[in-house]
Amino acid sequence: MEAWWEGVQKGFYQTFILKDNYMYFLKGIRITLLVTVLALILGVILGVLVAVVRSAHDQQPEKKRGLLLRVIDGICKFYLTVVRGTPMMVQLLIMWFVIWPALFPGSVRATDGNLIRCAVLAFGINSGAYVAEIVRSGIMSIDKGQMEAGRSLGLNYVSTMRYIIIPQAFKNVLPALGNELITLLKETSIVTVIGLKDLTKGAMIIQANTYQALVPFLAIAVMYLALVMLLSWLLGKMERRLRQSDIR
Amino acid sequence: MIYVKDLSKSFGDNQVISHIDAHIEPGEKVVIVGPSGSGKSTFLRCLNLLEQPDGGTITFDGEEITGPSVDINKVRRHMGMVFQHFNLFANLTVKKNIMLAPVQLKLMSKAEAEEEAMRLLRLVNLEDKADVYPIQLSGGQKQRIAIVRSLAMNPKVMLFDEPTSALDPEMVGEVLELMKQLARDGMTMVVVTHEMGFAREVGTRVIFMDEGVIKEENTPREFFENPRDPRLKDFLSKIL
Repeated sequence: MEAWWEGVQKGFYQTFILKDNYMYFLKGIRITLLVTVLALILGVILGVLVAVVRSAHDQQPEKKRGLLLRVIDGICKFYLTVVRGTPMMVQLLIMWFVIWPALFPGSVRATDGNLIRCAVLAFGINSGAYVAEIVRSGIMSIDKGQMEAGRSLGLNYVSTMRYIIIPQAFKNVLPALGNELITLLKETSIVTVIGLKDLTKGAMIIQANTYQALVPFLAIAVMYLALVMLLSWLLGKMERRLRQSDIR
Repeated sequence: MIYVKDLSKSFGDNQVISHIDAHIEPGEKVVIVGPSGSGKSTFLRCLNLLEQPDGGTITFDGEEITGPSVDINKVRRHMGMVFQHFNLFANLTVKKNIMLAPVQLKLMSKAEAEEEAMRLLRLVNLEDKADVYPIQLSGGQKQRIAIVRSLAMNPKVMLFDEPTSALDPEMVGEVLELMKQLARDGMTMVVVTHEMGFAREVGTRVIFMDEGVIKEENTPREFFENPRDPRLKDFLSKIL
């Protein structure tokens, strides 16, 4: 028992204090959060756009659907199928090793900046697909009288969506979006496969340098948990604020 | 003001409206009654193209609104619509419900719209509700606000789709009172309703619809005292 305890203490020292190793965690948290938040923003923008297209298509009677709407809806469906049907890690590898060099041949060096930008793009596109279906379910949940009232006043489809439907849909799907945010935060740990030094990579580097496993991996588990709890708390606050219009 | 010619509409195999002709003059208060499923709501909703007719034409203010390349959003600005279930915007306060369309369509500045909203709210004695959300209102209050929300657009005609059918009995009066006041002020109105008292008192013409066609139309007095159509006689005997 005593020997075990000494081992833990040594692990603690080597994990955090030796050679300022704690910096791996601080920098890692920064990168993990940065990728998560930026990817979420990109995901929400993409997701809302796709959701609006998909619901516009589904709400129109069949003979009134324009060719353009059909084509864009087809593209959206293709995007949803591919992104939701392939593993995130594969998407990330394809993005970094195939698409990124083709798009930005000047930015292929594995610098933190390039890797972060690439990861944000890959995770944003991935998250967008899930957000799209979440937001679409929110749009579908709004009584169609709300759309009719908006249109009857002379507002067009897009304005009614923007000022009436989306705000209400957003409020209804906030718990599901929170779930997506939490999933996203944890999923970013796979950026280690392209070599981005996020929180998980930090622990792996420390393990490689010190042969310690218990303390570094438990430490990042606790850190992820703390981040998730923090996010849940923030989301709860936001939800209460948005629920203002539901208080009788 | 509104000419309807040979209007038809079906949902799938169900022909809801078949070949209706109608004409609504400025200042008229046309009341449409009929059994449920007779197509009266669908007819009303066709007038501002919330339902797309399958056949026939509707002309509003000299413009054929069923034609191609008509900006229906522009047309709808001049046709207010009041719904059975009020359809106040749940995410906006009462005042913002009224202000939204005039401001977004750039017909008024924010300040003008706010002033107009408050004027309209005073008109229905609800100025103290300006900053509450619709969920906090009673049905009658919601419907009165829905009516003034339409009025804020300064419509040339108001369409009412069973405006009192979802209300508690004691709230029907306050909504009908507001509609009567509108009628007195000269608003052109098309009202689908089950309120026969309103039809008799306010209507200038009453239309009876059944099975997607207009079976009878007449002045309220003739309509209620000398019904000719057998289905109408049957209908009136059941509800009066």
